[in-house]
Formats: sequence, structure tokens, C-alpha cells
Amino acid sequence: MNFLYFDPGLGAMIVQAVVAVAAGVLLFSKNVLYKVKSFFGLVKEDDSYDSIDVDEGDTEETNDKNQ
Amino acid sequence: MIKTSKTHEASFRDPSGYMYHDGNTLRRKINPIYFPQYKKLKDSGFFKTLIKNNLLISHEETSVSEDEIIITPEHIPFITNPYEWGFEQYKQAALLTLKIQKFALSKGFILKDASAYNVTFHKGKPIFIDTLSFDFYKEGTPWRAYKQFITHFLGPLVLARYHGNEVFNMMQSYIDGIPVKMISSMLPPKTKLSSVLYPNIHLLAKMESRHSEDYKAETKIAKLSLKAQNNIIESLYNYISKLSLKEASEWGDYYSKTNYNETAFNTKKDLIRNWVSPLNAKKLIDIGGNDGTFARTVQDLVPHIMVTDIDSNAVDANFSQILKNKEDNMLPFVCDVLQPAPGIGFNNTERESLIHRLTEYKPDVTMALALIHHITLSGNVPFEKSAAFFAKFSKNLIIEFPKREDSWVTSLLVRKREFINYFDFYNQIEFEKGYSQFFTLVKKEELAGTKRVMYLFENKNYVS
Repeated sequence: MNFLYFDPGLGAMIVQAVVAVAAGVLLFSKNVLYKVKSFFGLVKEDDSYDSIDVDEGDTEETNDKNQ
Repeated sequence: MIKTSKTHEASFRDPSGYMYHDGNTLRRKINPIYFPQYKKLKDSGFFKTLIKNNLLISHEETSVSEDEIIITPEHIPFITNPYEWGFEQYKQAALLTLKIQKFALSKGFILKDASAYNVTFHKGKPIFIDTLSFDFYKEGTPWRAYKQFITHFLGPLVLARYHGNEVFNMMQSYIDGIPVKMISSMLPPKTKLSSVLYPNIHLLAKMESRHSEDYKAETKIAKLSLKAQNNIIESLYNYISKLSLKEASEWGDYYSKTNYNETAFNTKKDLIRNWVSPLNAKKLIDIGGNDGTFARTVQDLVPHIMVTDIDSNAVDANFSQILKNKEDNMLPFVCDVLQPAPGIGFNNTERESLIHRLTEYKPDVTMALALIHHITLSGNVPFEKSAAFFAKFSKNLIIEFPKREDSWVTSLLVRKREFINYFDFYNQIEFEKGYSQFFTLVKKEELAGTKRVMYLFENKNYVS
């Protein structure tokens, strides 16, 4: 913990194991549900929020205008 | 204001480096302790990708020596703090933080802190401003900033869902986030059934109080795989992106409720444009500017515009327009003129007060449209006091004065009931008298079809 300048909270470090399990189950079931839904053609694309993934491609032209 | 080589008041917690004012330029000094991280972040193209995607503020390397590396980040004209954000803004800031953490993990780094103050709004979007927030990821370690993310982001957002946006004001009292125990106690019992809120908030609160007495740091910390950590981040991301305020937005179509017709509305727009044009303003602030309708009439003339409102729904409505139209010169934020954000944190200067920031920002034009009757009649603020407030930071002031006959003013007055006579001073003569103590009258024009008068004032004592 060489750089730590705030208290991370011990409880918070421990609880993450449980949080991760819950999150794993949730994501897995969501994934299954998504597959079932898309099988029946019930998936609506929701693009009001960006995807969590960062675009690493060469998108110079679209992004450079703001710099 | 020239401050030579003065450390930035908010930059002292992290030993990796600090921000300082070099004259009027804000620079960041990096200490040797952080050189390995910085070099890896730079050489691997990590910084470059984040900057290219407008997620992290760009910077230039100014100098490199054995004892220090100096970088100069892109200038941000005005910093807004979490308690000044609307719900959507807060949400976007949270999502940005998670997005960056996920990307960092994929490249062998982590966010070593998840403070909401690492994010601000710039060019119409949230942007991460703490370039030194990254550290190396160590296999199997849980996310140290996890609790901070909960107290700075998830907690306030969920509380806002149940108690309204005003909850964000709690961030003024708790500079390191709302305590988990308090978040947990303020949430309705049914949130204990939520597969996201139970573990992330209620269980966390329990674990925190159970392990609060580990003074010697003896308890073993469980390992957490990278995959598991990614799951936490992704599930928080999914949950927050679907989060909305419980109470349906009160802010509907405000301008359809105004007491004047479309012609008068357009006359007011034209007048503002005609008055602002010759002032060659570089910076403008519209206080009480609702969703930015009037500020947008001069959007092409002024390079940087800020619009504040007490109603966070209006701020949100403005923010969604900015996102939708990709406007990059407008910054909306929540502000109660009768109680502007104070200076908070260590020395009361860690996060500067609104007045302090406005004095440094130095807007060329301040607009206060349909605001003075609220300040004077709802807030009981005498004219010379509100004039003194505007005079602190404004060069030119465009202010709209609704007369006593205006239906809104009449309504505010009759609600004073038997005290109505105490407010006889609310008239143009007294208004001009109060404002002339600090301002010179430049223009004055009655808005046809309304009971309102527009004024253009110039500050008598403005030092540029």
C-alpha cells in the first residue's frame, strides 16, 4: 500500500469477494436472458449511454476535432 | 490575479505529485516516487488512448529532470464540484470513472482513487482530470478505491433516486463521500432485496463496522481475481446507467408557463443578442438561466458560456441538450443564489467557494433574467445587497426587472399577506438606486407586451 493516502476500509476490501460473486451471477443471468430474448427477436438497442469499453481503434478524425 | 508558483489548494493528498500555479498557468509536478508509473502510462500509449477518446484531460510534458517531471494540462475555464451537478451529470461522472477503471485494468493499471473530484465538466462532457490517479495493478488485489467509489458515486446517486437531487448537497459536509453507514440507513428497506444495493451498500456498511477496530492491520485481505473485479465494475456500470430519479422530473416545459407571449419572448431574445454582440464577450454566465434558452441566443458569439439554475431538473434538461447537439461551449450547473456553494475541506480552500471561482473566472457578461424578484421577494435580499453580489464578479450585467404589475411579482407579493407593505420598496426607482451604487446604467428598455424592463449595467469598480 505504498501510495495509499486515504483509508480504503478493511471491510470494503473483504466485501468485494461477495460483491463480485453477486455481480457474476447477475451478469451471467443477464447474459442468458439477453441470448433468449435475441433468439426471439426481442432485443431493443439502447444507445443512450456509451458502452463501458474504450475505443482503441484509430478514430483520429472523429476525436481530434475537440483537441 | 497573479500567483507565482503557488501550490493548488486542493492538491496535497497524493504524494505522487501536485498541481501548482505558475503565474496564470496551472501545471502539475510529478515526484520521483511516481516516475515508474508515469513512464509506463506514457510509453504504453495508455494516456494517449484515454486522451484521444476525450476521457482524460490532455497534457503536454513541459520539463523532465531527475527530481521532477512537469506536465501542463489543458486549461479548464471553470471547475464545477459534485454538489453542483444535476442527476444526469453525476451519473455520467460515475460511469466515466468506471469506464476508466475497466480500461485501466485491461492494461495492467488501476485507479488508485475514485474521488468524484477527479471528474469535472469540460467542452460539454465529463472529463477525468487527475492524471496521476493511476497505479500498477497487482494480481489478486481487490480495488482499493472501491469504498470511495461507493461513498462518492453510487451512494449519492442512489440516495438521490429516493430523496431527490438535494442529497448531493451532503457532499458539501462529507468531502470524502457520504459515510456508508449513513447511506445504508437512509435507503428504504426494500433496497436490501436488490442484488446490487444489498452487497454494495448494506453488506458493505455491516462489514465496515465489524472491521473498524483492526488497528494493527492484522486481518487478512482476501484475494480477488481480475475477472471478479471486472464483474463488480461491469455490474455497477449496468446498474448506474439504468438509474433514474424516482420522482418524475418536475421540470417540464417551463417556458410554456411564462406569463408573456411568443412575440415578447422573441423580442427578449433579440434584445439580448443585440446587447451582448458589441460587448465582445469571451465568457458569459447566465444566473438562473433555466435550461439555457436565452444563453443559446448568443452561443455563437461567446466562446465560453455557463448557465446556472437552482432547479437541477432544468440543469439536467440543459445538459441533455448539450449532449444531444454536441455543444462544446456551454457548462450548466446547479446554484442557489441565496446560498452559493461554500469553500470546503482543509483550510476551507480545498474546494473553493462559488464566489471565489466566479471572481477568478471573470465573466465579461453576467445575465440575470427573471431572477431579481425571487432574490428580493423570496429571499428578502435588499437591492444594494444583490447589487453588491453581482458586482463581485461581473463586468457587464444584463438584468431583467419585472415590475409590480407582473403576474409573478404580484403573486409573490400577495403571499406576503399582512406584511405586503414591507415590500413597497420593490419598484424601479429603488432598484435603480440600489444598483447605481455599484453599476453605471448603460441601457434600459421596456420589453413590449410584458411588465418587465431590461437593464444593461457596467461595473463601476471592475478591475480587469
